[in-house]
Amino acid sequence: MAPSDPLFADYRALPGTFDEMFGPDGAPRPAFRLAAEALAARGRSAFAAAQALAERALMNSGVTFSVYSDDRGSEKIFPFCLVPRVISAQDWAHLERGLAQRVTALEAFLADCYGEQRIFREGTIPRDLVLGSKNFFPQLAGVKPPGGVRIHIAGIDLIRDPAGVFQVLEDNLRTPSGVSYVLENRLLSKRVLPEVLDRARVQQVDHYPARLGDALRSVSPVEPGATTAVVLTPGPFNSAYFEHSFLARTMGLELVQAADLYVERDRVFARTTRGPRPVHVVYRRTDELFLDPEVFRPDSLLGVRGILRAWARGNVTLANAPGNGVADDKAVYPFVPDIVRFYLSEEPILAQVPTWVCAREEDKRFVVEHLGELVVKAVDEAGGYGMLMGPQSSAEQREDFRRRIEAEPRKYIAQRRVELSTCPTWDGAASRVVPRRVDLRPYVVNSRSGPWVLPGGLTRVALREGSYVVNSSQGGGSKDTWVQKPEAA
Amino acid sequence: MISRVADHCFWLGRYLERAESTARVLSVTRNLALDAGLTAAQCWLPVVIVAGEEARFGSRFGPEAAEDGDRVQAYLTWDQETGVSIQRSVAAARDNARSIREVVSLETWEALNELHLWLGSQAGWSEYGEDRHAFYRRVRQAVQGIHGIARGTMLHDDALHFVELGVRLERAGQTARILDVHHHAIRRITDASAAPETGLWLSLLRACSGFEPYMKRCQGRIDREAVVRFLVLEAEFPRSVRFCIHSAWERLASIRPPEAEGLPGARSVARLAELVRWVDGCGALLEGERLHELLTHVVDETASICDWIGRELLGYEVAAQSQSQPSPP
Repeated sequence: MAPSDPLFADYRALPGTFDEMFGPDGAPRPAFRLAAEALAARGRSAFAAAQALAERALMNSGVTFSVYSDDRGSEKIFPFCLVPRVISAQDWAHLERGLAQRVTALEAFLADCYGEQRIFREGTIPRDLVLGSKNFFPQLAGVKPPGGVRIHIAGIDLIRDPAGVFQVLEDNLRTPSGVSYVLENRLLSKRVLPEVLDRARVQQVDHYPARLGDALRSVSPVEPGATTAVVLTPGPFNSAYFEHSFLARTMGLELVQAADLYVERDRVFARTTRGPRPVHVVYRRTDELFLDPEVFRPDSLLGVRGILRAWARGNVTLANAPGNGVADDKAVYPFVPDIVRFYLSEEPILAQVPTWVCAREEDKRFVVEHLGELVVKAVDEAGGYGMLMGPQSSAEQREDFRRRIEAEPRKYIAQRRVELSTCPTWDGAASRVVPRRVDLRPYVVNSRSGPWVLPGGLTRVALREGSYVVNSSQGGGSKDTWVQKPEAA
Repeated sequence: MISRVADHCFWLGRYLERAESTARVLSVTRNLALDAGLTAAQCWLPVVIVAGEEARFGSRFGPEAAEDGDRVQAYLTWDQETGVSIQRSVAAARDNARSIREVVSLETWEALNELHLWLGSQAGWSEYGEDRHAFYRRVRQAVQGIHGIARGTMLHDDALHFVELGVRLERAGQTARILDVHHHAIRRITDASAAPETGLWLSLLRACSGFEPYMKRCQGRIDREAVVRFLVLEAEFPRSVRFCIHSAWERLASIRPPEAEGLPGARSVARLAELVRWVDGCGALLEGERLHELLTHVVDETASICDWIGRELLGYEVAAQSQSQPSPP
C-alpha cells in the first residue's frame, strides 16, 4: 500500500544541475526505479524514524570524529543522510576502468620522478613545475620502495557535471581518509533499510579491509606470511582516529603510535610487553612531514627517528610511500591526461576539469583577462586558502590576484566553477527530501598485482541549501554509495 | 603486545572496577543509613575515606559535609574533579578503550560507550533522581556485563589478561581498604554504644558482594573474626584479598611466564609472587590491632607492584611522553 506521505512527492531537482536519482522529466532514472520505489514506499514519517535510528546507532557505536577546538577532545558524529546515492552498473564499469588507468599512470609518473625522469626529457611536462614543487623531495630520489608500489591507497575525488559526465577534481595519493565511513554507512543501511538495499541489488563493500591487508602484505620486504604489519596513527586526538582504529581492528593489525616504534640498524621495531618485535609494513596515517624528524620536521613528536632510512634500505614498506604529494599537486593535475598518454600510450578514460596553467604564457593571458569568470587556485595551498572565486570577487581582489599571477605565474592555476550534481537528501528540520550537491571519493588499492577499485566510495553531501562545500568541518555529511551489480551477475 | 596498548588495557580494567565498587558501596551505605540506627556521619564518612577523598571533600564542603548522605553520593557519583566518581571512572575507562578500539572487541566497546553516554544523558540523571537503587544497580550490572562480553567475545590473550590483571589488583586494594576503614569504624561504634553489631558486619559483606557467599561458608554465624577471615583469606570468594592476589598472579604468569629468561617483567613477577606467599601465611595478623598493619601492607604492596608493572611492561620509562595515568587513591 502506498503511504499517505510519499517521500519524494514534492521533490524538484535544481535547474542546470544533474540529479543522481531523478531525470529531467521528474521520474526516477530507469536504473534506479526499483530503489526509488522501495524508498518511496516508506513514507516521510517512517523515513524520519529510520533516520533518527541511524543517528542514534552512530553515536552508540562511537563512529565519531574528534573536534580539536573543544576541550577534552570531544567527539561528533559525521552527519549521515540515509537516502543512498546510487551508481548504475554501467557508470561504475566506466569509472572502475578509468580509476585503475589513472592510478597506474600516476604510479609510473612517481617512479619516474624519483628515478630516471624520462618524462621531462620528452617535454611532456615542464621539469621546473614538478621538481620545483614543495611536494617533491629530492632527498628521496633513487629509492625503490619494496614491491615497487608507491600508491597503495588512492582516493580520487570525482564530481558530475550538468551533462552527467564524471570528472576528476582531485587526486589524493598521500593519506586519503573516509573509507571507514563507507563501511559503517553500509552497516546502517542494512540495519534500517534492509528491504530497500535488497531490491536495489547492491555490490558489497565489507571486504575492503581484507583486500587492503592482502595488498599491504604483497609488498612486504619479507614473505607475506611472515609479515608484521601495523597501522601508525598520530593518536586519539587526530580527527580521523576513529578510522585508524577501525582499519586496524578490521584488518587484525596492531594500531601503533610513533612512540611505540623505534629504528635500530635501519630496521623498525615495536616496543612490546615481550621486548622488541620487528615490523615490516607500516600503513602510516601520519603526514609525511611528521614521519621522521631526522629527514623532515625536526620538531615532530609524531615521528619515528630513522624510519625513512629503514625504508630507503628496503627494510620496511611505508604505505603510502613518502613523496607521493608531487603527483597529487594542483600544478601537476592539469598534466595528468598527458601523463596517462605518455606512460600507457592510451587515451585517458576519465574526464577532468579543464584547467588553465598560468605557467603557460597563453593560458596566463586568458586567465588575467577573465578573472571575473574563473576560480583561481594557488598550487601550494589547500583547504580553500589562496583562492579567488572570480564570480563573487571585488575589483580590488581581482587586481590583487592579477598582480600576484604576473609576479609568479607558476604558482597559479584556474578553472571555471564546476557545477556539482545533486542527490535527494533528507532535511531533518523540514522533514522532507531536498536536492543537495554531492561529490564522490572512490578508493583504489594497489598491490603487487595492480590496482583494485572498491565498488562504492564515500559520497559527501553539502547539507546546507545552495552550498558547494562537502567538507565535514563545514556542514558536510555523507551518504551510503550503492553501486549496482551488473545485470548478468 | 605493544606496551602502550597493554597500559590502556590495564587501566581499562582498573577504572571499570573502581566504578563498580563505588556504585556498590554507595548503594549498600544508603541502605544501611536507613535502619542501622547510626548517625549519618557514621555511615557516610567511611565511604569518603575509602575513596581516598576525605581531605578534598572536607576542604570543599566543610567538616560537617559527611553528615549529608546526598552530598556524599552526588560527589562520588558525578563530581568531575575527583577521578574516583562513577562518572569520571567510566569516562576514564572509556577513554582507555577508545585509544585501543582495535583491541577491545566491538561489542565490548559498544557496551562501555553506551554506559558512558547514559551517564551523561538526561535518562541517567533522571534515574539517579527518581530511583537511586536502580541507578546503582544499572551501573554495576553494566560493568559486569562489559566484563562478561569481553570474556565472551575477545581472544583470551595478553590484552584480556592485562584488563583482568588491572581488575584483580584494583579489587584487592578495594577490598583491603573497605575492610580497613569499616573495621575501624565498626569497632569504634560498638565500643561506644550497644548498636547492633551484626547489621554492620552484614553491610560490610554486602559492600564487597560477599553476603551470600559468606552465608554459604559460615552458615549464618556472624562475628568479627569470621567476617574478617572471610574477606581476607577465603580462597574461593572472588573478592577476598587472597583470591584477588592469587588470580592477579595467574594473569601475570600468563602474560610473563615466571620461568622465562630474557623477558621484561622479572621484578613485577618476583614481587607479586612474594605477596602471594605472604598473604597465604598472614593468618596470625588477623587478630586485633594487627589487622590494620596487614591491610596497609596489602594496599602498599599492590600499589608498588602496579608501579613495577608500569615500568617493566607498560613502557612508562621508554615512551617519549609519559603514558602513565594518575595512581589510585
